[in-house]
Amino acid sequence: MAEHLSGWPTGQAKQLAVRLLLGCLTVLAVLTLTFVLQYAVPGDVARSIAGPRATPQLLAQIRDRLHLDAPLWDQYWRYLRGVLSGNLGESYVQKQPVRSLIAARLPATLLLGVTALVVEIALGGALGVWEALRGRRSTLLTCLNTGLLATPTFALGYLFLLVFAYQLAVLPITTGADAAHLVMPAVVLGLSGVPYYSSVVRDSMTATLASSHVRTAVAKGLPRWTVIRRHVLRCALSPVVTMAGMDIAVFLSGVVFVENVFGWPGIGQLQDQAFNNSDRPLLMGTVIVAAVLVVFGNLLADVIRVAVDPRARQEASA
Amino acid sequence: MSAPVSIEGLTVAYGDQVSLHDVSLDVPAGTVLALVGESGSGKSTLAHAASRLLPPNARILGGTISVGGTDMAALTGHELRSARGSTVAYLPQDALAALNPVMRIGRQIAEVFTAANGRSDAAEMAVEMLRRVSIRDPGQVARKYPHQLSGGMRQRVMIAIALAHRPQLLIADEPTTALDVTVQAEVLELVAELQRDTGVTVIWITHDLSVVKEIADTVAVLYGGRVAEHCAADELFAAARHPYTLGLLGSFGGARTAAPKERFTAIPGSPPLRGGVPGCPFHPRCTRAEDRCRSEAPPLLGGVACHVVAREATGTGAGETGMTA
Repeated sequence: MAEHLSGWPTGQAKQLAVRLLLGCLTVLAVLTLTFVLQYAVPGDVARSIAGPRATPQLLAQIRDRLHLDAPLWDQYWRYLRGVLSGNLGESYVQKQPVRSLIAARLPATLLLGVTALVVEIALGGALGVWEALRGRRSTLLTCLNTGLLATPTFALGYLFLLVFAYQLAVLPITTGADAAHLVMPAVVLGLSGVPYYSSVVRDSMTATLASSHVRTAVAKGLPRWTVIRRHVLRCALSPVVTMAGMDIAVFLSGVVFVENVFGWPGIGQLQDQAFNNSDRPLLMGTVIVAAVLVVFGNLLADVIRVAVDPRARQEASA
Repeated sequence: MSAPVSIEGLTVAYGDQVSLHDVSLDVPAGTVLALVGESGSGKSTLAHAASRLLPPNARILGGTISVGGTDMAALTGHELRSARGSTVAYLPQDALAALNPVMRIGRQIAEVFTAANGRSDAAEMAVEMLRRVSIRDPGQVARKYPHQLSGGMRQRVMIAIALAHRPQLLIADEPTTALDVTVQAEVLELVAELQRDTGVTVIWITHDLSVVKEIADTVAVLYGGRVAEHCAADELFAAARHPYTLGLLGSFGGARTAAPKERFTAIPGSPPLRGGVPGCPFHPRCTRAEDRCRSEAPPLLGGVACHVVAREATGTGAGETGMTA
């Protein structure tokens, strides 16, 4: 292998480059598919921009300006060229560049996503570790997980609003972007990932607890907590990190509902508006940003996994 | 350092299936006992019980495991933790699985010292242990991860971990099985050498009679969770008495000397399932089995547990009355 690669970067860097390239292809595929799907949806864009009482002249003018009468491949090519030069087009309805609309909303969504991930890891991780150390399945936790799995995110969201904002009135019911407004959406989004996360943590922990090297650690006469901290948790981490990377994708689909339920001013809300207004450039823009975030999240998980597991380092260079 | 080991009436069960029945063994201080048996004979159960590493579903139902006066079977909590490694050390079969994959070798040895007395020079002592198990360039090996070492090296690292606490009893659970033959011989030699130096008492579990020949002072043959024969190693090869041991020796000799195409001698039938049969566990496969063997488990008399052998040794009538009394 080494002979073939002489002159090439080292295994790890090459692996990373390949992943990046695959990531770009993924984003391109998502872009193409979404673009084609949009044209399969019935509806006259020009009319939705100009309103029901627009004159035929105005409609024709709009169609001409947006090249709506051009063949699909021509429109696609125009759009793709724009995206590659960093121009995501202009929103039909809000009459602003899509790029600046998204840039204004992105920090809020990232904040919500990261907070939800922290909630999920803390809660799901703790429950998974607890159940693994317990040695047998907990009926209570199984019921909780099944309940959470069966509850759609938006329903859980309204339930939270009803209980914590309306009846107990401990959290704000209004729209806003501060810490108090972050609590409910982050918890609801995080809770939606808890069943998956606690299962992965439990299975990974259980397998590690039964492994031969943990027996060695016990045979050394180490205290129980040292064995768990040093030999079990660290080894059980790898699948958990991979899971967290994939959860970024799960959260990005959940974010649309959660942001709308709680009025959190993020990309999910923007996407919802774009969909309702047939605002094609804006919808495309939010989809592309989501695809980039998913690719980036998985890439980040891989990098972290390599950092915590020396065996993955060897796989990468082999 | 060296301590006599005495196991009395040890009974171990997985759930409600008894896999070790009333096993008694003696190992004089500083000697090597080879524990021989096929899969399911209970030899690994005995190893795990004596080092108190039984899985959670297994229970010690009775008996004592005395190591230099400490009853390992009775220890709990903090006493058990400090006895692990220092009174009894365990050397496992698969060294790759038995080492933490994400921790450097040096640290895995060093934590034995830090666990015992929080020594600050644990890292240097770990390197010293690697040198003692004849690893070249121990300083560099200490910085490696398990998957970067060869099978023989990993087993040497396991030996270093096991002996780091200067244990009184070392339980070696088929540590050479996963290695290829030349490495097997090296590891065997190393353990024999360290055993002579430190005087540690060893229980070596194996199904390979050539290993017995190599290092054992005494031998115990396990079958179906009971001791079939317990004698000196030389005696086993010269004058084994139990029908199972004879069959074992027959198939071993056959495998060693048989010319190509010549048939191996094998013991007819297959080993018992856990839980077993009433009477002598070997009777379904034994060519000399009598009615009594089917109903009553033979006690260990003069190093052998067999009704037929006992009767022949004492004369027909005397054996009957002696046994039934």
